Amino acid sequence: MDINLQVSIGNLTLKNPVTVASGTFGYGEEYSEYFDISELGAVTVKSLTLQPRLGNVPPRIVETPAGMLNAIGLQNVGIETYLKSKLPFLREKKCTIIANIYGTSVDEYVKLAELLEKEGGADAIEMNLSCPNVHDAKNKFKCPLIAQSPEWVEKYTLAVRSSVKLPLIVKLSPNITDITEPALSAERGGADAISIINTLLGMAINPETRKPKLKNVVGGLSGPAIRPVALKMVWDVSRTVKIPVIGMGGICTASDALEFLIAGARMVAIGSYLFRDPLAPIRIIQGLREYCLNNGIDDINKLIGSVIIE
Amino acid sequence: MDKLHECLITLHNLVAPNHYRMVLQSKEIATQSLPGQFVMLEVSPGYYPFLRRPMSIERIFSDGVSILYKVCGEGTKILSTLSTGEKINVQGPLGNSFPIPKEYSHYLIVAGGIGVAPFPALVEGILKVRGIAPEIILAGKDFHHLLCEKDFRQMGCKIHLVTEDGSAGHKGLATDILETLDLPDSTIVYTCGPLPMIKNVHKICEQKKWLCYASLEAEMACGEGVCLGCVIPAKMEIENEMMARVCREGPVFDTQVILWDKIGEK
Repeated sequence: MDINLQVSIGNLTLKNPVTVASGTFGYGEEYSEYFDISELGAVTVKSLTLQPRLGNVPPRIVETPAGMLNAIGLQNVGIETYLKSKLPFLREKKCTIIANIYGTSVDEYVKLAELLEKEGGADAIEMNLSCPNVHDAKNKFKCPLIAQSPEWVEKYTLAVRSSVKLPLIVKLSPNITDITEPALSAERGGADAISIINTLLGMAINPETRKPKLKNVVGGLSGPAIRPVALKMVWDVSRTVKIPVIGMGGICTASDALEFLIAGARMVAIGSYLFRDPLAPIRIIQGLREYCLNNGIDDINKLIGSVIIE
Repeated sequence: MDKLHECLITLHNLVAPNHYRMVLQSKEIATQSLPGQFVMLEVSPGYYPFLRRPMSIERIFSDGVSILYKVCGEGTKILSTLSTGEKINVQGPLGNSFPIPKEYSHYLIVAGGIGVAPFPALVEGILKVRGIAPEIILAGKDFHHLLCEKDFRQMGCKIHLVTEDGSAGHKGLATDILETLDLPDSTIVYTCGPLPMIKNVHKICEQKKWLCYASLEAEMACGEGVCLGCVIPAKMEIENEMMARVCREGPVFDTQVILWDKIGEK
């Protein structure tokens, strides 16, 4: 049986529904030593900013039960270096590229998106409106994320939507009472898809020193520990909006990925588990194909949102 | 190049209180490994611990490598319960290696505690490349923690023992000995151990104008340079300050590129 694994986001067709979460795959070079990265539905690159960023002071990561906290702080090479030194590699490998962007103002998001479109730097743009690790220095622990304000989400999405034609994905935060509100705002703003979830805010303390284990004090929780939370949010949002949802949060196996697809995600992203098993995305693509084969499903799209609630 | 290997544990011994040596069988890892590189071990098949554990390669054999580790947390505690004959998933070899430049006439190693781990392989490397046995300052908390002393003696190294409690050799710190050594200008120093020790070794080497390479330890998630968790502030060949990845640009650094003033305490 021929099985169709292709899915689409906006006018972009992807060879399968598996990508990687921004910030867990660099710009593709490292893990291309493990597998042919063009086999991914798309490569989602580390957040890009207008200027290079050094990120936060270490320690930046700490392991937690079934997961980890990170406070990297968007260390990245900056858009110029990405276009000059990172992009050619991804293009040479014939990858479909989702470029994740982060700005500190609407203008910065627009500039980044326009640059990417003009220079052919991406096949889709993912707006990171939800990084928990970049703060306003004056108000370190209370700075709201754009993704926490439905109004801002719509404004930011609309501004970028009006400036570029590339498929536009908005990445939202789980650190909110009702994630369907910013999701609806992103849809109204013209987004082609919604990525959920970014990391959950968390903290860890060393009782011996009484100091937080992260220099940044707080960080974002990822890994299988957050999977049920992510799954529930994917289910909530995919029933609420008409645009596709890209589901992520602790996906380690094909079975995990299937949960997200069945809940309503059109694509899934593998994040922290890559650190443990760089081959996880390839195993998952293979596992999805096998599941379809074993269950007589000829098109993966038939599985999306097929959850049976009795 | 395949970097993920299911390895047979062919030896697993307690070598000092809380310290173990594990020999991992893999021709592929053995033939690719260089002194100073490390491996990432999957200590449990489940999600706790979630991440692999980075370990220096202690020695490189024809059909495998050994690691030397100290039990210091949940991951290493689980690792210590594995038995000879069991299999473990090993990722590696990873990271850069110790440079062994040929123009130096004297090779000195300063090892503190479990920081000795990468040095047996380095001694063998230096013997192979230069035919010279390095001199070693081997320091530890007490005589139990002077690891690999016998191995180094068998390799022909001149050894200075140092313990904090005076139970063997000089009572004090490794740097006490380093300061007193009268060595030629063309001396190259390799060090690994607690960060304050490395920093002081660096300072002394700077005064004495000796080139110094340090193998650094850092908490890391991926070991491959993508998570950006293990970084240290450094000035590499380009002029700009950068956050160098211990797993990728390191773990071995020329200590002059490290921005010591910007490294805070944990």
